Amino acid sequence: MKKKVFIALLILVFCFSGGGFYIVRSIEEVITNLENVITLHQVEFLRKDLWNKIKVVQTDLLLKDSPHALLTDPFIVHVEEMEKAARICQNCHHSEEVLQSLNHFQRQMDGYIKMLSRVYTVRANQARLAEERDTAFSMGEKTLSEVEQIVITSSEKISKRITRARNSIAETERLLYFLITAGPLLLILIAYFFLKQFTTSVDALLDATRKIQQGNLRYRVKEELPDEFQVLGSAINIMASSLTDQCQRMQQAERLAVVGELAAGLAHEVKNPLAGIKVSIEVLANELSLEQEDREVFLRIINEIHRIESLLKSLLSYARPPEPETSPLDLHQLLETSIKSVSYALINPANTARLIKDIEIVKDFSPDVPPVIADRSQLQQVFLNLLLNAIDAIPAKGTITISTRKESNHTVQISIADTGKGMSPENLHKIFNPFFTTKPKGTGLGLAICKRLIELHNGTIHVSSAPGEGTTFYITIPEKLQLQGITP
Amino acid sequence: MPGKSYQNCIILFAACLFFLLLSGCGEQQESKTGDVPVRTPTRTLKLGLIPEHDIFTQKKRYAPLAAYLSRRIDTAIELSVLSRYGNIIDNFVSNGLDAAFFGSFTGALAVRKLQVQPLARPEYPDGTSTYYGMIFVRKDSGIHHAADMRGKRFAFVDQATTAGWLLPLHFFKENGIADYRSFFSETYFTGTHEDAIYDVLRGKADIGAAKNTVFFRLAQSDSKVREQLQILVTSPLVPANALAVRRDLDEALKIKLQNALLQMDQDAEGRQILQEFGARRFIPTTENDYAPVFAYADKIGLDLATYDYINE
Repeated sequence: MKKKVFIALLILVFCFSGGGFYIVRSIEEVITNLENVITLHQVEFLRKDLWNKIKVVQTDLLLKDSPHALLTDPFIVHVEEMEKAARICQNCHHSEEVLQSLNHFQRQMDGYIKMLSRVYTVRANQARLAEERDTAFSMGEKTLSEVEQIVITSSEKISKRITRARNSIAETERLLYFLITAGPLLLILIAYFFLKQFTTSVDALLDATRKIQQGNLRYRVKEELPDEFQVLGSAINIMASSLTDQCQRMQQAERLAVVGELAAGLAHEVKNPLAGIKVSIEVLANELSLEQEDREVFLRIINEIHRIESLLKSLLSYARPPEPETSPLDLHQLLETSIKSVSYALINPANTARLIKDIEIVKDFSPDVPPVIADRSQLQQVFLNLLLNAIDAIPAKGTITISTRKESNHTVQISIADTGKGMSPENLHKIFNPFFTTKPKGTGLGLAICKRLIELHNGTIHVSSAPGEGTTFYITIPEKLQLQGITP
Repeated sequence: MPGKSYQNCIILFAACLFFLLLSGCGEQQESKTGDVPVRTPTRTLKLGLIPEHDIFTQKKRYAPLAAYLSRRIDTAIELSVLSRYGNIIDNFVSNGLDAAFFGSFTGALAVRKLQVQPLARPEYPDGTSTYYGMIFVRKDSGIHHAADMRGKRFAFVDQATTAGWLLPLHFFKENGIADYRSFFSETYFTGTHEDAIYDVLRGKADIGAAKNTVFFRLAQSDSKVREQLQILVTSPLVPANALAVRRDLDEALKIKLQNALLQMDQDAEGRQILQEFGARRFIPTTENDYAPVFAYADKIGLDLATYDYINE
């Protein structure tokens, strides 16, 4: 948007500067044309003036020796004025051709003036006097005719030039009108373009915020918005997603609070009677002389009671986990311990020298992973759970890769990947839900507890998996746990 | 409050406009003052000129000199060019001329007839302040002596010129031409020395008479004058055209005028004008300087005091 505004401003500046420059140039051109027209009129006037002055001198010449003849001085003044008028023509700028013509005219004028003087000064017989006067008069007439010719020619040229000048002025006028009309139109178009873009985008964003405000957290800005508006739209979408997550967490927390209360109550209510039943069964099993078959029945009852106790314990652990007891711990050491623990699960109970599955455990520990401050037992519970799941997921032979990595934002990532059977996308979305399990004897609380414990450490746990391609869990925890209170 | 500020704006705008108008008026007044000449002479001296050259050239030639003198003597000078040499004698009184640049003959006539007072005359770059007349023909005319002139056309300048009239008369007398009118097929007066020269050069006349200064000045600009004309006779030296004033002119003005002329060569502007005029300086001139003219007229038998050039 900034770029567009800048470009639009540049266009406007260019238009205004260009328009202004053109108007100034046009005015200058019009002024020049008008000056030309005035000059041309002046030239026309000067030539006509010259013609008149020659005519006056010719009249003086005709009147000479008549009762109306002028004295010498006024005649000299008339000739001087005529000569001055003729010289003015030469003072203007002319082409070489015109200049030559004017020089010729000037020579003719000089000869005429000499002849005029002669007529006024000579004293001779009547024939010579008449000849001198006729010669002077005919020279005057020739000069006059030349001026007439110049006047006619120049009038035509001047007329054409005036027409050209007027046409030029008219053209400038039309262009100015065009600019006066087109300039504001261009401004309106640019303004409309920006307003349209602005209002459309703002409307879309306002609409989105209203819908999110009304509780439609699934609403997203889907319109293609221009420039910064698109960024703002994306930010609103991210905010909506974040709000959705927060809401889900809150709902989850509320659910857990309910489950926790329920589980605590149930455990409390069930635990004591169950203990009584267990003790009673154990006493009966020890004191009664029972057949072997009956004794086995008692033992199965006791095993089932153990299972119920374990389930209750898990339920309590999920619903109301204990507050993390933080201490600095070496993640690699903790992972080593966990690996060691789960390796016992691989030992065949029937033949301890053999393993039930051929699983290779690969450790890809980054040396720059710092010690973290966290609850040792809770993290170990998470690692054990994930490792045991990984073992379960591998049918007979496979690899479990455990990696650690220091992240840039003061967090540490631990990933546990197996080459097992993987999970379908449907199951993948449900694996952290309580009581969801694909195992015949599973409680469905293992991964839910893992997620709950990691979240207690302000961390995240994600999974990526595809059927037949194995599963990878990614755990991210802060280097230093900041306890913010634990949701009951 | 907004109304009040609006009123203030109007008052401020009106004040600005008022000051602008005032400043505009001030500029106009300044410009008017700037156009006014420094000083305008109140007196006018009317100065006559003889048609030594054509009447227009003659006026142009004397105009810078007149302007210079006008500034020096604080008197406006009005030039009056006369179409004929003799007019200057007639018009000196009738036209109310105060002064005139007289030719040698008209100067002598004016001294005798009008009692004018000569003041100064130019000294040419070659150091002379005199001129002489000459009779000339075309080289191809075949005229070498007076006898060859019979039946030809003679172009004089004016009956009031030394070179263009006295010299021919003296020549006729010396060569026994008693009645020149019958001796020549045609005689006429060109009015100017220049025309007399050109008339012979162009074949309008066969013989001409004119002064040497004009002849050689024309020869400088037109080589044909020297190449195609032949000088047959020359007159004695006579004083160059001098400025003479009427006797009753204000004495102070006479002195100022004479001083201005005599001191022209002492300032740069004066020297420049003198150069354009064709002179080195002006020198004092008195009636005595016309003695050669009086003597020449005596030889011919003219009594200048009673000489009526018009009747002649």
